Amino acid sequence: MTSSILDQVRSIASDLFGVPVDRIVAESSPEMIEAWDSTQHLNFVLALEEKFGLQLSPEEMEQMRNVGEAARLVETKLQKASR
Amino acid sequence: MPIVIQPYREEHQPAVQEFNRRLQSGGAELDLIFFRFAQPRWLPPAEGAKLYQRYFVALENGVVRGGYALKQQDFFFADGITRTVAYYHHPLSEGIVNKSYAAVGSMLLKDAMNRSPLLYCLGMGGYDRPLPKMLARLGWAHFLVPFYFHVARPNRFFKEMQALHTSPSRRLLLNLAAFTGTGWAGVKTIQGLRKLRAPKLTPFTVEKIEDFSDWVDPLWEQAKNHYAMTAVRDCQTLRTLYPASDTHFTRLRVRRSGRDIGWAVVGERRKDEKYGAMRVGSIVDCWASPDDALPVMQAASAALVDNGVDLIVSNQSHRLWARALEHAGFLHSPSNFIFAAGKKLSALLQPFAETQSRIHFTRADGDGLPRNF
Repeated sequence: MTSSILDQVRSIASDLFGVPVDRIVAESSPEMIEAWDSTQHLNFVLALEEKFGLQLSPEEMEQMRNVGEAARLVETKLQKASR
Repeated sequence: MPIVIQPYREEHQPAVQEFNRRLQSGGAELDLIFFRFAQPRWLPPAEGAKLYQRYFVALENGVVRGGYALKQQDFFFADGITRTVAYYHHPLSEGIVNKSYAAVGSMLLKDAMNRSPLLYCLGMGGYDRPLPKMLARLGWAHFLVPFYFHVARPNRFFKEMQALHTSPSRRLLLNLAAFTGTGWAGVKTIQGLRKLRAPKLTPFTVEKIEDFSDWVDPLWEQAKNHYAMTAVRDCQTLRTLYPASDTHFTRLRVRRSGRDIGWAVVGERRKDEKYGAMRVGSIVDCWASPDDALPVMQAASAALVDNGVDLIVSNQSHRLWARALEHAGFLHSPSNFIFAAGKKLSALLQPFAETQSRIHFTRADGDGLPRNF
């Protein structure tokens, strides 16, 4: 995974969940961040869609169990889109 | 096992019944039941139809964990473009009774957003309910669609209106108001004062019609530009919503000087315990240029009174339709009927705070026809 995508995803998560970006790591998950509930998870997905210009399915949304997985999914989708 | 969301098919019906059973045994409210049949009874999809409903279910290895409905309909916007917009309704998630499925509600909404980017919700029972709370947190634009009522028979109203009977002493007072006629006098005075403020109207005629026909199309074309957003109300749409076979609706054609100025659809609501034994009429739908709203509201109200209802209710979002109700003697009451627009839809309605009073929404734009208007 490129660090640039992970960093951008961390930055989005930081803004959305109100947690300093240096405390958001790839393993950060709803279990570790109090503000990350199911509604905020949808907000997170919508923010990723807007930032990276892609559309995520509900099934992909469910797969994003932490920040790293979200970044990996975004990267995969961007690679597929560029092919 | 991952959850997948699919169109609801007949083969899912037993799993939906099981889902409903789990919700009920888990303590969910009695009305939280997903549709028993995969094919919508009201507005089923049909070849070439622009107004139809579809149901979807969230499946986990064949087990239903949630579901929702979408009503697709064409809407006309102030920029002169007609767009297909979907009404998201009846979302139900296993998360209501089992926290491990808390994410299903968000997944359902995301699925609906992917299928129909222009999305709205209507009704929802008030801001204390989970769905409007969620929509507000997602940044949806929203407002309460004003609720109006007109008491046709004050004595019945005071005796039967369960929401007013909150304590034994209030019940006694209200029964006294009903029995002595003071309630009757009070309501008639207040409603009468409202009518006094109404502008003087040029005489108009009202005709009860069996079915809508071509005359409604010019009316639709003439008036649509007065609205910031309105569901298309042409002849084809009206015949779909209010087919001639549906005899519990009364359709009214309103004319002035031989020219059509509007129409209304009224009907008697099914019994609801909050209204006791009262017969409650509803102004289900209406159309005219907003300047001609008052004669249409007067016609609708008079038709329901003629039908013998005790109370008339109506929700109107457009400020001039709301004002027309006031001039027709209606009283305003707190509403729990919320309109919420998804971000892509609300982007078409900016500035929303200004535009919202020019959006035309009535009970007909909800999910309740034909039984629950």
